[in-house]
Amino acid sequence: MSPHLHVRVGVDVPGWQEAIRAACTPLVTAGVVEPGYVDACVDLIRRHGPYTVLAPGIALPHARPEDGVHRVGVSVVVLSFPVEFGHPENDPVDIVIAFGSPDSDQHIDLLAALAGGLAEGLADRLRAATDATEATKAIEEVIEGV
Amino acid sequence: MSRGRAGEPLHVVTVCGVGMGSSLILRMTAEKALAELGVPARVEATDVSSAKSLRPDVILGQEMHMSEFAGAAPIVLEVANFIDTEALKRALEGPLREQGWLE
Repeated sequence: MSPHLHVRVGVDVPGWQEAIRAACTPLVTAGVVEPGYVDACVDLIRRHGPYTVLAPGIALPHARPEDGVHRVGVSVVVLSFPVEFGHPENDPVDIVIAFGSPDSDQHIDLLAALAGGLAEGLADRLRAATDATEATKAIEEVIEGV
Repeated sequence: MSRGRAGEPLHVVTVCGVGMGSSLILRMTAEKALAELGVPARVEATDVSSAKSLRPDVILGQEMHMSEFAGAAPIVLEVANFIDTEALKRALEGPLREQGWLE
């Protein structure tokens, strides 16, 4: 089964917690993750720091399979205005890619494809997208075959 | 060229809070960087609490986690950008040379 994909652009949020909630909520709505998963994503950053901000402008929040994940899913939001996550080098963030995986293996191909795409300018293609359809297409090109 | 150590590949651990997202992406970047440097390596992604007990040759992760690892491996490196292979290559080269993994 291919991963569930949801994309929104032009999302307006006041801070990093709202950014994570905006990215995670479509996964709850689609039944990919349990509502508690969203809080788990926020709590992990509170406890361990903003380590999920893994490159300039890009955050990849997620929690654990046991926090309530039914299948592999990814939800991307492109923010209208970047927000601070408190990362010493990669702030501010305007691309938030939330994902969930039901175990420690099923998402590996998806992440590999996303990492490859991000290394090749996917973030800028998402920023340039004028609507969700265009942004979805940019991601689909990268994760095709996953 | 790598001289390796008794035929063992370089053991690298990439860390993040959970061990299945950011650290997995850093693992992929590290595998690519080490392959390009010509250093045979075994790279594992893990969470912060498991990394120390693995006694690796190299620990890579975000600055906010690295203070826990002082002395836990011969090479402990802060990596800010997990998808930049070229930057990671540059950061690894010096320490790997000092430790005899690179000539």
